[in-house]
Amino acid sequence: MSVMSAQTRPVTRNWGLVRGILWTALGLAAVVAMIMDLGLSPKGMAAGFGKLGQFLAAMVPPSDGGDFSRILAALIETLAMALAGTCLGVLAAIPLGIIGAKNVVRNPVFHFIYRRGLDIFRGVPALVWALIFVAAFGLGPFGGVLALAAADIPSLSKLFAEALENGDPGPVEGVRAAGVSPLLELRFGLAPQMAPIMASQCLYFLESNFRNAAVLGIVGAGGIGFELEERIRVFAFDQVAFIILLYIVAVSLLDTASAWLRRTLR
Amino acid sequence: MLELTALTKTFGETVAVNNVSLRIDRGEIVGVIGRSGSGKSTLLRLINRLTPATSGTVSWDGLPIYDLKGRDLRRWRRRCAMIFQQFNLAPRLDVITNVLIGVVAERPLATSLVKHFPATDRARAIRELEALDMVHAALQRAGTLSGGQQQRVAIARALMQDPELILADEPVASLDPMNAEAVMEALKTATRERGIPVLVSLHSLEIARRHCSRIVAMSKGRIIFDGCPSGLSHEEVERIYSGRLAGVTIASHNDLEVAA
Repeated sequence: MSVMSAQTRPVTRNWGLVRGILWTALGLAAVVAMIMDLGLSPKGMAAGFGKLGQFLAAMVPPSDGGDFSRILAALIETLAMALAGTCLGVLAAIPLGIIGAKNVVRNPVFHFIYRRGLDIFRGVPALVWALIFVAAFGLGPFGGVLALAAADIPSLSKLFAEALENGDPGPVEGVRAAGVSPLLELRFGLAPQMAPIMASQCLYFLESNFRNAAVLGIVGAGGIGFELEERIRVFAFDQVAFIILLYIVAVSLLDTASAWLRRTLR
Repeated sequence: MLELTALTKTFGETVAVNNVSLRIDRGEIVGVIGRSGSGKSTLLRLINRLTPATSGTVSWDGLPIYDLKGRDLRRWRRRCAMIFQQFNLAPRLDVITNVLIGVVAERPLATSLVKHFPATDRARAIRELEALDMVHAALQRAGTLSGGQQQRVAIARALMQDPELILADEPVASLDPMNAEAVMEALKTATRERGIPVLVSLHSLEIARRHCSRIVAMSKGRIIFDGCPSGLSHEEVERIYSGRLAGVTIASHNDLEVAA
């Protein structure tokens, strides 16, 4: 309500108050209903926090449990999964992105259906792909690699297509005027503009895949996540802490390296 | 000999080029002048078919250009090189690669894709750059050069195409006067040596007068003057740039007032 109407018609202020009380009551009722539905009790909450405290205490000091080489190998495997998944995704996304660009395939109907199709697949997270691929190809990093690739392809295709559409048409026309075939127009007119943008996007995806790869390990797709899950099951929290710390260091190292690479690419 | 017959191009309601017929012989440097929007650029682009015509024909030594398809059309584009106002080089590629794009159409696809060019082509590119005083920048990225330098690289690329005709679309419009003069000189020297006819659109009447052997003036898509620079009297210039046509109809007079 504006100040003006509140001054001229004071009745409306009461309405606002009534409405406020009504909404608050409704909100509170919803919260209570949810707590009852989920069976949340203060006793359960206290017990859970108590256990969490015990876990935290068990984490200090972190220890590799004499398995350092195995943990390191798993970490490298995770990085390899992220790299392989990203490469596979990029390889598939390049042609899919070119097809999806408005200035390459000039058919609005095709373009609309194609892009919406990509959007649908973009909604499926890597974890879901991992569950499917682990079921199909068995436990191990292979399913994880495929899952990362499958999750990246729709997003990367869309990004590549948009990068192509935003390219400067001038150089392309310059190449076309030299009597060059469409494929070489792409090679000399568009690709040089695209390469740094696309490389930068690929590095972003490598970073995020390295972070996602740990979660995939937990559903059986190999790597550091697998080691982590094993140790949580046997309550070896000092080793869990060690792996988590090592992983945080590795992730930030990769992020720094990739950020530096992206800067030099510009 | 280039021959345009009854060439017309419409963009929706606007008639960019209106029933233009023109003949250009070898060795001529023809300056196309006129106010902006008079159809100069479109006329040039209709010749190498970067813009498709609405009606009319273009022929080169009797070869009907508008019947060409695919590979033949691309061969024609190679034979009539184009120079652009914004240079249209690939800014992230080095200068010599940009020049080599002029021969890419005639080389094997696989080696071109990996940017591998025969030594003879590279030597030739260097010679073209040398003639334009740009050889020192051969390995520099094209995007790092000044406008005047980029345009000279673009001329080298055009000459690399072994053109039989050069279309230059406002080649000096985005350059300062000194560079504009240098680029026009370079274009003139390079083409005079090889007897290549040039069709160049210019917004500066003064540059056109000095460098062209013949001047064609356009207004509202029509040719309203065609002759040697000395024939451009004060009255003619007035007529060209005021946009008033000789024997103008009342309808187009009204258009002018609406536009103004």
